[in-house]
Amino acid sequence: MARIQSSIQTGAAEFRRHYAHNRRLAAELHAKQRQARFERPARDVERLARQGKMMPRERIEKLLDPGTPFLEFSTLAANMAYGGEAPGASCITGIGMVQGREVILCAHDASIKGGAWYPLSVKKIVRCLDIAIENRLPVVHLCDSAGGFLPLQSELFPDKHMAGRMFRNQSILSKMNVKQLALVFGHCTAGGAYIPALSDYSVIVRGTGAVFLGGPPLVKAATGEVVTADELGGCDLHTRISGTCDYPAASEDEAIAIGREIVAQWDVPPKWAIQRDPIEAPYYDPDELYGIIPDDIKRSFDMREVIARIVDGSRFHEYQPAYGTTLVCGYANIWGYKVGILANNGVLFNDSALKGAHFIELCNQNDTPLVFLQNITGYMVGRDYEAAGISKDGAKMIMAQVGSHVPKFTVMCHGSFGAGNYGMCGRAYDGRLLFAWPNHQIGVMGGEQAAKTLTEVKLKQLERAGDAVDQATLDKVYNETLEAYQHQLSAYYSTSEVWDDGILDPVDTRNALGIGISASLNAPPLERGYGVFRF
Amino acid sequence: MLDSLLVANRGEIACRVLRTARAMGLRTIAVYHHADRGAPHVSLADQAIELDSEVPTSAYLDIPQLVAAAQSAGAAAVHPGYGFLAENAGFAAAVEDAGLVFVGPQPDVIRLMGDKVHARAFAAEAGVPLAPSALMEGTLEEFLASAREIGLPLLIKAAAGGGGKGMSIVHDAAELAARARTAMSEAERYFADGRIYAERYVERPRHIEVQVLGDGRGNVVHLFERECSVQRRFQKIVEEAPAATLPAELRARICSAAVTLATRANYRNAGTVEFILAPDGEFYFLEMNTRLQVEHPVTEMICGVDLVEAQLRIAAGEGLPWTQDAITTTGHAIECRVCCEDPARDFLPATGTARVLRLPHGAGVRFDGGLGEGQAVTASFDSMIGKLVCRGEDRRQAIDRAVTALGELTLLGVDHNIDYLARVVDHPAFRAGELHTGFVAEHADALGTPRLDADQRAAVVIAAALGVDDFRRLAWDIPEPYASIGAWRN
Amino acid sequence: MATSFPFMLDGETHLVTIRARRPRLVVEVDGRCYTVDEDPAADGTTRLAIDGRAYDVRRTREGDRVHVKLDTTNYSVGYQDPVTAAQHDAGGDDVLRADMPGVVVSMTATPGASIASGDVLLVIESMKMQINVVAHRDGTVETVHVEVNQSFDKGAELVSLHPSN
Repeated sequence: MARIQSSIQTGAAEFRRHYAHNRRLAAELHAKQRQARFERPARDVERLARQGKMMPRERIEKLLDPGTPFLEFSTLAANMAYGGEAPGASCITGIGMVQGREVILCAHDASIKGGAWYPLSVKKIVRCLDIAIENRLPVVHLCDSAGGFLPLQSELFPDKHMAGRMFRNQSILSKMNVKQLALVFGHCTAGGAYIPALSDYSVIVRGTGAVFLGGPPLVKAATGEVVTADELGGCDLHTRISGTCDYPAASEDEAIAIGREIVAQWDVPPKWAIQRDPIEAPYYDPDELYGIIPDDIKRSFDMREVIARIVDGSRFHEYQPAYGTTLVCGYANIWGYKVGILANNGVLFNDSALKGAHFIELCNQNDTPLVFLQNITGYMVGRDYEAAGISKDGAKMIMAQVGSHVPKFTVMCHGSFGAGNYGMCGRAYDGRLLFAWPNHQIGVMGGEQAAKTLTEVKLKQLERAGDAVDQATLDKVYNETLEAYQHQLSAYYSTSEVWDDGILDPVDTRNALGIGISASLNAPPLERGYGVFRF
Repeated sequence: MLDSLLVANRGEIACRVLRTARAMGLRTIAVYHHADRGAPHVSLADQAIELDSEVPTSAYLDIPQLVAAAQSAGAAAVHPGYGFLAENAGFAAAVEDAGLVFVGPQPDVIRLMGDKVHARAFAAEAGVPLAPSALMEGTLEEFLASAREIGLPLLIKAAAGGGGKGMSIVHDAAELAARARTAMSEAERYFADGRIYAERYVERPRHIEVQVLGDGRGNVVHLFERECSVQRRFQKIVEEAPAATLPAELRARICSAAVTLATRANYRNAGTVEFILAPDGEFYFLEMNTRLQVEHPVTEMICGVDLVEAQLRIAAGEGLPWTQDAITTTGHAIECRVCCEDPARDFLPATGTARVLRLPHGAGVRFDGGLGEGQAVTASFDSMIGKLVCRGEDRRQAIDRAVTALGELTLLGVDHNIDYLARVVDHPAFRAGELHTGFVAEHADALGTPRLDADQRAAVVIAAALGVDDFRRLAWDIPEPYASIGAWRN
Repeated sequence: MATSFPFMLDGETHLVTIRARRPRLVVEVDGRCYTVDEDPAADGTTRLAIDGRAYDVRRTREGDRVHVKLDTTNYSVGYQDPVTAAQHDAGGDDVLRADMPGVVVSMTATPGASIASGDVLLVIESMKMQINVVAHRDGTVETVHVEVNQSFDKGAELVSLHPSN
C-alpha cells in the first residue's frame, strides 16, 4: 500500500494558526480532565484517608498490569450537569489489561458524595456494561457507592435504561459466559448490593467493605433495629455466613492482589481472527493533526491528512478514488488491524452515498472492521438531488451500515450535522465505540443555520399575524438561538450527556481505536445479512 | 578376589565406592532409607535394600539391619564409606562376626585410634611427636593445674570427641576454668563422656595428613601428604595434595612418622594420620582416621591410583598393591567440598531441592557427587553433596582449573557454598600458599559476599523476576496492541 | 503507583515493575529503569542483556526463593506471590517461622497461653546448636505447628500468635 502524500505545509501561517488553536483546545481538555479526575474537596479526601481507603484511580492503577494502557470512557460525563457536583458522573469506566486479559473496569468514586449515583452515573455505568456485552469483555467492578442520589431518583430509577439496566446487563453478561468480579472496597447499598451479588466472583475488604439492601439508617427507620454497617453487611458476615461475597481481604491491597489472581484463572477465549499485519507507526507525525483541524466549524479539510496521521505507515488503499469524492473510502491498518475507513470530505451526494454503501458491503464481505471519521454537514439538499433519489441513496448507506456484522467505530473529527450523522454511524447506530475531538460540534444543523431558520420562521409568523416586522425582535431570536445552540452543540455538552464515549485529544485517536478494535474482536461477528435496499 | 560388596553408606561416597566396585566386576548392593529412594547411589548398585527407620540417619547407623541386609543379599564384603559407622569398631566386629569381610582396619585398631587418649599414648610409644598436653583424669582442679603448666594458648577438646564439638581455644588464663567447664558439659552432652583434655595451641597451624595403606601383616606404605588447612567450623572445606608448601626433608619426616605409627598398629587397609604443623616446622600427631577420607581423591589424582580399588584388593587378602618405591606423584590436586549451606550466615545448613545440577567438564576436572537433579536436600543428612577435584601440572594450574570449574558448576534450588569456595581458592593468600587453619577467619572480609552496587543488584533482581511466572507473563505475554501502546492514559 | 512486585536480596526489598515493552522491555527497579532483552541459549541457559550488558542466566524457583546464577555467581532472591505479600503487609507478624532448618528440642508454648515479649516458646537445634525461639511481642498463643523431635525446614511455621492481640 502506498503512503498518503501529505500536502500539509507545517510552516504555513494557516497551519500555525490551526495548530495554536487546537493545542489550546487540547490544553483545555486536559485541564478539564485533570479537574474531573483529581480535584476533590479536602474533607472528602481526608475522610477516605481516615478510612484507610485508596482513591479509586489508585485502585485502578494497582489492578492494571504495569506498563499497559487504560482507555478511559467519558471522563467528562456530567461536566455540564448538576452544577458540576458530579465530576466524571462519580464513576470511572474504561478498558484495561489485567493479567494479560482485556477487561472493563467500572469503579465508583466515593470521593464524590460517597460515590452516590446521579442519573448520568447510571447512564455511564450502563454504557460500559453495554460495551462489555457487545464486545464480550469481562468486568471488574470496584464497588464503593452509597447508592442512588435520592433527590434525583426519578431520573435514575424507573426507565428502561436506568439503574435496573445495570443488573440486567450483569445477568446478561453472566449468561454469555463473560466473567465478572466485584471488589467491594466500600459500601454497596440498596441496588448496589446486586453488583457483588450478580458478579461471578467477589472480594470484600474487612472493616470498610459492606453489602446491604438497606443501610443502617434505613434499617433503623424501618424496624428500629440499631446495627453497624459492619454487622449488617460486613466482610465476615458475607464471607462466612451469607455467602454473598467469596473472599475476605484484610486490606485494599490484598483485595486487589486476590482480584488479580482471580482474573488470572479466567480462560481466554479465542478472539475473532481478522486480518492483521505487523505494526508500523504512522509516517506522518500525529502531532500535525493540530495544524490540520480548522479553527472554524464551517471550514472543510482533506480527511486524507487525518488518515495519514492515524494509520500504520500512513499507508492507505483508496477505493474508488475518482468517484463520489466527498466520501473518502479505503483500506488501512491501525495497530496492525486491517480496517475500512469512511471519511467525509464534504457534503454527501448521491454518488458518495452509493460509494459508501458499497464500500461498507465490501468490508463486510472481507470481515474488515469499519472506522467512520465524521465531518459532515449532511446529505445534499435541493430539487435535483431529491429527484436523483438522495433520500433513498442515503437510506442505502444507513441500511448497509446497520446491517454490518463487523465492528464499527466512529470518531467525530469536526462537525456532525443532520442526517449525515446517521449514515456515518452516529450514536444511535451501535458502533462499538464513539469518540469526539474537542473541536467537535453536533446537532440537527449548525448554530448559524438554526438561528437563520428560526429567524425565518419568526418572520413568517409576524407577517402572518400582520404585525410589524421589528428587526430587533428578529435579532433577539437569532442571537438567543445561536447562543443556545453553541452551548448544546459543543463537544463538552455531548460528552456531559454521554452521547459519546469520551473526548479524545486528536493525537490519542490511534491508540483509542487500536484498543477498541482489539477489544471488539472478543465478540464473534454479528449475524450476517441486510434488510431491503431501495434501489 | 571378592565377588560382591555392600556399601553401608549414602551420598557421594556410596557412589564413589560403587563405581570402583562395579568397574572391578563386583556385584554391588546399596542400602537406603526411604528418604533417599530416588538417590543416585540406589540406582547405581545392582541391588538396593531399603532400611527401615523412622529417622533417616538412624537407618545408616543400624548395625543389625545393615549386617542382615549384607547377609540376605549374599554380600562377600561391606564397605563403610566415611562417617556413619566407618569408625565404629562394633560395626566392623559385627560384620566380621557374620563371616563377611569388613573393608577397613581390624576392630581393635579402630577402637584404639577412636579413643584420643589411647591413640596419643600409642603414638607417644611409637615415637611420633605429640604436642604438650594434659588429660583430665582426676578433678577439674588437677586438670587445670597441669593445663597451666603447658602454657597458653591452649586448645581444649573432648577426649571422646571429634568434628570440632566441645572444642575451644583459651588465650587468657582467667578464662581457662570457665572454658573447661563448658567443654566438659558439651562433651557430656554430645559424647556421653565428660572427659576433656588440653594441649598446646599452635598459632597459625597447618593441617597436614598422610595417606597410608597397610596389609594388616606389618607392611605399610604411604601415598604422601595432603594439606587440609582451610577449614570452617573446624571442618575442612578445601584440601590439596601435595601440601601447598612443604620442604622435602620435612615431608619425608612427616610421612615416615605416619608409616611408623601405622606399622606399629599392624594397620590394615586405608588410613590417615593427621598432624598439626607449626610455623616453626615442628609437627605434632593429631589423630589417626581409620577409614577412607573425604579428601582421598586429591591423593588419587596426583598418585594416579584408585584408593577404593586398593582397599578392596587388601580386603580380599591380595596384600599391598604397590611397593613404596612404585608410588610417585605428579602435578597438584585441589578438592573443594560443595556444601548446601549459607556462608553469609555462619555456614548454617540450607535445605531445598536440587532443581538444576550441571557439572563442570574439562581436563583434570573430577566431580564426586551423590545428589541427583530433582533430589531434596534435607536437614537429615550432612550438608556436603559433592566434591570438586581439579588436577593441574602445578598448583597454579590446579587453582585456575578449580576457579573455572566452580564457575561452571551449577546447582540451583538450594543455597550452597560454590561461590564462596571460588573466592577461597582465588584469594591471593590461598594462591600464595599462605595457609593455616585460621585462614577462613583471617580473610573473612575478603571472602564475604561481595557488596553489589545498585545496578548490579538490579540485574540480579531483574534476572530473578523474569524467573517468576507471574512476572514473566507480564513482561513477555502482554498482547498487541497493548504491549506497544504501553502505559498510555487518555 | 502502578502495581509492583517486591523482591528480597540480602535482606533488602527491591520494588520491581514494568514500564514499557516496546521497542524493548523496560523494567523499573527502585525507581530506576533498565532495558532488558532476553534470548534463550543452549542447555537451559538464558542470555539476558540489561542496559546492554550481557549475562548468562540460569534460574529456578524453589518455594519463596528464586535461585539465580548470573554468569558464574549465585544469588538467592526472595519472592512472595502478591496475595501472600499483601497478607504479610496487612496481617503483621503473627507467625514465628524457622530461620534455619532444624529439629524441635523442647516446647514450652501451649495454645491459649498468654505470653510476654521475650518468653521462650520453644527450643530448636540446628547445626548441633540449641537456639531459643522467643516471643517477639505480648499476646496469646493461637497454634503450635510443630512437636518435640519434629524436624522442619527453613521458613517453616513454628508458632502462631493470636492476631487480634
